[in-house]
Amino acid sequence: MTTYRLSFVMWRIRVFLQLLTVYFIWASVMPTDSTLFGYSRELMLTYVLGTQLINSIVFSSRTQEIAENINSGDLSIFLLKPLGYFKYWFARDLSDKTMNLAFSVVELVIFFLILSPPLFVQTNMMLLSLFVFSIFLAVLLNFVIGCLMSMIGFWSSEVWAPRFVFYVIISFFTGGLFPLDILPKPLFNFLELLPFTYLQFFPLKVYLGQVGVADIFKGLTISGIWIGILYTGLYVVWNKGLTKFSAAGR
Amino acid sequence: MSPIISVRDLKKYYQIHEKEPGISGTIKSLFNRKYSDAKAVDGISFEIEEGELIGFIGPNGAGKTTTLKVLSGLLHPTSGDVEVLGHKPWIRRNEFLKQFALIMGQKNQLWWDLPAIETFLLNKEVYDVSDLDFDKRLKELSRLLDVDDFLTVQVKKLSLGQRMKMELIAGLIHEPKLLFLDEPTIGLDVVMQKKMRDFIREINELKKTTVILTSHYMQDVKELAKRVIVIDHGKILFDGSLSTIIKKFANTKVITVVLEKPVPKADFSEFGIVKESDPLNLSISVKREKVAQVAEVLLKKYPVEDLNIEEVGIEDIIREVFEAKS
Repeated sequence: MTTYRLSFVMWRIRVFLQLLTVYFIWASVMPTDSTLFGYSRELMLTYVLGTQLINSIVFSSRTQEIAENINSGDLSIFLLKPLGYFKYWFARDLSDKTMNLAFSVVELVIFFLILSPPLFVQTNMMLLSLFVFSIFLAVLLNFVIGCLMSMIGFWSSEVWAPRFVFYVIISFFTGGLFPLDILPKPLFNFLELLPFTYLQFFPLKVYLGQVGVADIFKGLTISGIWIGILYTGLYVVWNKGLTKFSAAGR
Repeated sequence: MSPIISVRDLKKYYQIHEKEPGISGTIKSLFNRKYSDAKAVDGISFEIEEGELIGFIGPNGAGKTTTLKVLSGLLHPTSGDVEVLGHKPWIRRNEFLKQFALIMGQKNQLWWDLPAIETFLLNKEVYDVSDLDFDKRLKELSRLLDVDDFLTVQVKKLSLGQRMKMELIAGLIHEPKLLFLDEPTIGLDVVMQKKMRDFIREINELKKTTVILTSHYMQDVKELAKRVIVIDHGKILFDGSLSTIIKKFANTKVITVVLEKPVPKADFSEFGIVKESDPLNLSISVKREKVAQVAEVLLKKYPVEDLNIEEVGIEDIIREVFEAKS
């Protein structure tokens, strides 16, 4: 039991330290009385703290275990049961997110009590509900992407590394490091067509109230379309993978 | 009544990539890959009626597990007709999946960090088992297997035998009509093996569950199965009752002799095939009808201290089946 508790505590400390790091970097970069890249200190700090909260909602996932399942052959156990395999993992994802979110909220409260940072609070109910909906789409999108990455397991036993590299690369495109609209306009316009901005950047911008209603619906539509495309792709790859899985005799 | 399983001319070939040894082989294989077929199952046919208990016997790589995997829908066959419980297994319809279980001695479905009861409860939901049925079956199974006290213990704290019992409960909580057991007694001690066999027999008799069992331990098959299917190199060598196979192949008996002083081995070769473990201990396989006569000669002519006449072991018979056909 002690090992559980210890690793649990260490995990939360790591998350909390990450939160502090990001906060202090931006707190020292941002000027107190003027704006930088069109962001006031308040908005920028809300943005970077928001990315941390979204990390615990959108990016916490169990889908990497699908690859382990495939590689170890334990996938067979699931295939033998009358069970929707992806539904099963989505349910596990949701439980993982619930736990993550619960702890993040506690930590953020502590953080506020200690540092009382200047934050922007959105009060418009419509924007808030659109924010929640965009988070929901982001959760679906990340789930499908995570499942797709794990499909590598059918063809290679090296899944961890490509997955890791992939997430490092997309963390640039999701807006996890900085708000994407400080990039040159043409590049930003291009990124808007990719699915990644809808994982983090887009929901936060909705929360901050910096996107017009028409653009919000455009964004929601694009991410919905991506979910459809990637989900279809996932099924094609999954069925290909299953025949391959069999052939390897695992 | 139509059979619960019918297999006609089932073939399952795996494509294997061949590579020549060394770096040049590696480079060649980058440009020109050679593939060959491994014939895991090569044209087998059989039918199984409801309520049967059947033993699959064969050496490693004979195609036993591949066959079970095709029957349980994990593999698509390369060719041939397979029908299990009225379904094509590989389509994996829920109605089909709810009616059978495949339990593998080397793969487990139990949640490692949780007590076994949690896995049972999860399976209860997955298989839509009612509360009433669940309680009744759990009580019955844990009584038969004698694991009442361990249901709430973390799986990782259980012994191998206890864990295997829990695997069985997890696989049987939905009361499958058809049960595939792949090496259920592997790694278990003799006592536990016996308990496991008693349990399998009971399930087959009480619930009329059709059981197909593969095992390396001939004892399992000998005690449990009335019908055996012997398979090697993907082909069926024998399909029939155990007594038939013994009659057909065991036309010899074994005479073991303990001598007082060494006698040249060649002296005995006129009686049959001689095996010598040391100069004073010999065993001779002798044709059934000549056993009495040979024993008499041995006792008269040689300094024999002790003499024993035995039936050939089932292991040896099976080995003979394999050697005769290959």
